[in-house]
Amino acid sequence: MAASRVQSICLIAAFLMMVGVVAPSQVICDLRKGDSPQILELLRRKPTQANLRRLESSLESGCTAAQAVRPWMQAARFVLLRDTGDKALLGRDGWFFYRPAVQYLIEPAPSTQEVLNAVLAFRDDLAKRGVKLLVMPAPNKASVYPGMLAARAARVETVNAGTRDVLAELKAAGVEVLDLFELYHQATEKAGTPPCYLAQDSHWSPEGMKLAAEAAARRLLEAGWVQKGSARYEAKSMPVERYGDVLKMIRVPQVERLFEPQRMDCEQVIDAGTGKPYADDPNSPILVLGDSFLRIYERDEPTSGGFVAHLAKELGFGLTSVISDGGASTLVRQQLARKPSLLEGKKVVLWEFVERDIRFGTEGWQVVPIPGGSRPGEKSLSQSATSRIMAGHECTKEIPLRSGGRDRGQTTIGQGKPNVAGDPYERDHRQEHVAS
Amino acid sequence: MAFTSHIFLFYFLPAVLLLYHAVPQRWPRIRNAVLLAAGYVFYAWASPWFAGLLLAVTVVNYGLSLAVAASEAKGSRVLWTALAVAADLGALAFFKYAGFVEESLNHVLSLVGHDAWPVLRIALPVGISFYMFKVIGYVVDVCRRQSPPARSLLDFACYVSFFPQLLSGPIQRFGTIDSKSDSLPTFAEQLLGRSQTIERFSRGAALFMLGFAKKILLASAMGQVADAVFAAASPGTIDAWYGALAYSFQLYFDFSAYSEMAIGVGLMFGFECSRNFAAPYRAESFSDFWRRWHISLSSWLRDYLYIQLGGSRAGTGRTYLNLLIVLLLCGLWHGAGWTFIVWGAWHGFWLIAERWQKNMGAAAPTGLLGRCNTFFLVLLGWVIFRAADLSDAWRLLSIMSWPQRAQGGSSLLSAAIYTRGSLFFMALCTVLVFQPVQGFDWVRRLSWPKVVTLAILFALSLTTMFAQSFRSFLYFQF
Repeated sequence: MAASRVQSICLIAAFLMMVGVVAPSQVICDLRKGDSPQILELLRRKPTQANLRRLESSLESGCTAAQAVRPWMQAARFVLLRDTGDKALLGRDGWFFYRPAVQYLIEPAPSTQEVLNAVLAFRDDLAKRGVKLLVMPAPNKASVYPGMLAARAARVETVNAGTRDVLAELKAAGVEVLDLFELYHQATEKAGTPPCYLAQDSHWSPEGMKLAAEAAARRLLEAGWVQKGSARYEAKSMPVERYGDVLKMIRVPQVERLFEPQRMDCEQVIDAGTGKPYADDPNSPILVLGDSFLRIYERDEPTSGGFVAHLAKELGFGLTSVISDGGASTLVRQQLARKPSLLEGKKVVLWEFVERDIRFGTEGWQVVPIPGGSRPGEKSLSQSATSRIMAGHECTKEIPLRSGGRDRGQTTIGQGKPNVAGDPYERDHRQEHVAS
Repeated sequence: MAFTSHIFLFYFLPAVLLLYHAVPQRWPRIRNAVLLAAGYVFYAWASPWFAGLLLAVTVVNYGLSLAVAASEAKGSRVLWTALAVAADLGALAFFKYAGFVEESLNHVLSLVGHDAWPVLRIALPVGISFYMFKVIGYVVDVCRRQSPPARSLLDFACYVSFFPQLLSGPIQRFGTIDSKSDSLPTFAEQLLGRSQTIERFSRGAALFMLGFAKKILLASAMGQVADAVFAAASPGTIDAWYGALAYSFQLYFDFSAYSEMAIGVGLMFGFECSRNFAAPYRAESFSDFWRRWHISLSSWLRDYLYIQLGGSRAGTGRTYLNLLIVLLLCGLWHGAGWTFIVWGAWHGFWLIAERWQKNMGAAAPTGLLGRCNTFFLVLLGWVIFRAADLSDAWRLLSIMSWPQRAQGGSSLLSAAIYTRGSLFFMALCTVLVFQPVQGFDWVRRLSWPKVVTLAILFALSLTTMFAQSFRSFLYFQF
């Protein structure tokens, strides 16, 4: 009986210690940091549902004990169970995949009507200005390399039917589409071709990016939409080493250390005359819109080595670009609608968006009218706004967004400057790049 | 506020335990008042407006129960009771079923070419199905003279808002006990006076720790697999079976974990409650399954609905009809959707089939065969229960019924569901589900190995909770 009582007391002590120590320790931590205890927010704010949820969320995310324990637990779960958390999936041979992108492929085809409406409305808006549209959906990594995620999918066509529908319906509606799916499929069939995607990252590799840029340039020149320019650019080899974005989404340094940073044989595009890295030209006849697929290598290290720079090299003239991480479905057009002067003098808009955005695009697929539409030759755009852009005063813009997380909400209007704002992931990501 | 949330575990529970135990045992009313306040804070945390509904339900039912108790004539007692039950069911129907009824009507209207009516979007107060059944049972017991009315509004309010059971049960009765449950004092008796011992507290802590581990370590892992499979466009046959099995385990470990945590927290405040699960997947028949699964609900349906309808006393055909009605309503209680109704019909059908077989004198499979047979049919029922709608259920059952490979992008599913972690937890769940000693019995007598195991499991679960995104309990939605 006595032994049973001692066991009971020990169990109660263990229980109370584990549930009772977190709150007081958090209060002490808050006070030591010079902050008032977070829990007191409960008394300071009206107890509305929104305020209560906010408090609950901030208590959880700001919990010092949880922050201290979480990486170790996640590392242990990764080592023992290969658990990669909510955002990543572990493939074969050290390949990582972005879980929502894979989810997009696994789940039923989404409705494509909103996508069609948005693209067609945009195409028509541009047409009123005499600007042509080229749409370029960037495939999910698992659409191109399904076998690197699941052996049984190696010989299976994994592209979501929704993607195929969008491509087919856009083509049927007379929209020019650059089919990177076919391009990459052919590339993967060729023996000895380097992978078009990075092993630890959700984005294309330098080689995959260059294939896309070359194909886009070919399409634009063959269509006669633009003529090859006379500017001379050269490619300068600049290998970069860093951990991929999907690996970093696990947010556990202990797990990252289990892997080698991936080496990328990047090429920075430089002006052959001055030797300076490529910079956007606000007077370009081409405006490129897109998401982080355009940001990688361009604003990230090595800088001026991404899709925009390589497309400019192929075309022989500089481009204007608007990049919104994770916001290619709607945000990037909203940004354009706020700055319609960006379309001044443009002949072509090339619009890139990642395949998964067909379903998961931030803010969905809204029809975003571009104000001040007029026929070529009509004078309606704000000259002063154009001047500001040309002077490079409006190079970086952050847009507050509904949801946070990776690839969300950074919009930059291209002058070749690296992103300096945005979510913490992006900052960490950049800081830990290792340029060799 | 969920038991697995940061705010509950590290702020609310320690604070309420401290406040409650700071009040001497000899002042049970003050302790009850502390519990009442805690219950309202706990409930209002989801939405402060819901607390108003809880208060209204409490006051109306308490008032009507006094009228029932004061009525000498059976007729007026029944009238007051009918009024209370109608008010409760009306509120339940409004909050839970109005949208479903309107959508179903709109579907019919669209078939005959009429325009659809606007559908009301009503926020479902969490736990309403549970506390409505508690108050209905209480009023009916007072009407039947099986239980005296609560001696005060405080007692009754404390019963209704008893936070461990507020959101997902168990549906503990006020003045009576389920005849098949352990012999325990009624809740009303426990409100009057309850002994708070170290052993009782430690059993409560043990149950809570065990339930927490089941939820965080097992149910969440199985939930990830089930979610992926049920969302997939074209999973393969093996994937679909694997997903269905994962959902069966998720549901059991999720809900039984909540019940154990609820009973555990109750014990920490000195309240005893009978078990809500008894190794349900070891059931040898459907009637056996319902004696083991969500026992407080099945016994409630038996005592307040099935018997009220005449039970098995009114002939064979009527017995079958009563079984079907009870199970259909049981399905509807779980959710406002056709999948739940069909799931109820599925269980009703097999209960009737078993009864018919018994009446015909045919031997039903027992032992391992009976268990396998029952588990197989219950699992198929869970597919209907989990599916987004009936066509989704049919799609999955079709995939499960004929061998086929995963199609298109769904072939990538294997990377998400056959991970080392999910295979490990699936194996662990299989062992735990089918072995006879369940958590509720395991913690009855503590030993050093059990103390150490529980402490390690709880620490492991807490750290895992820090590393995983929050997952609510499945039964909250019902």
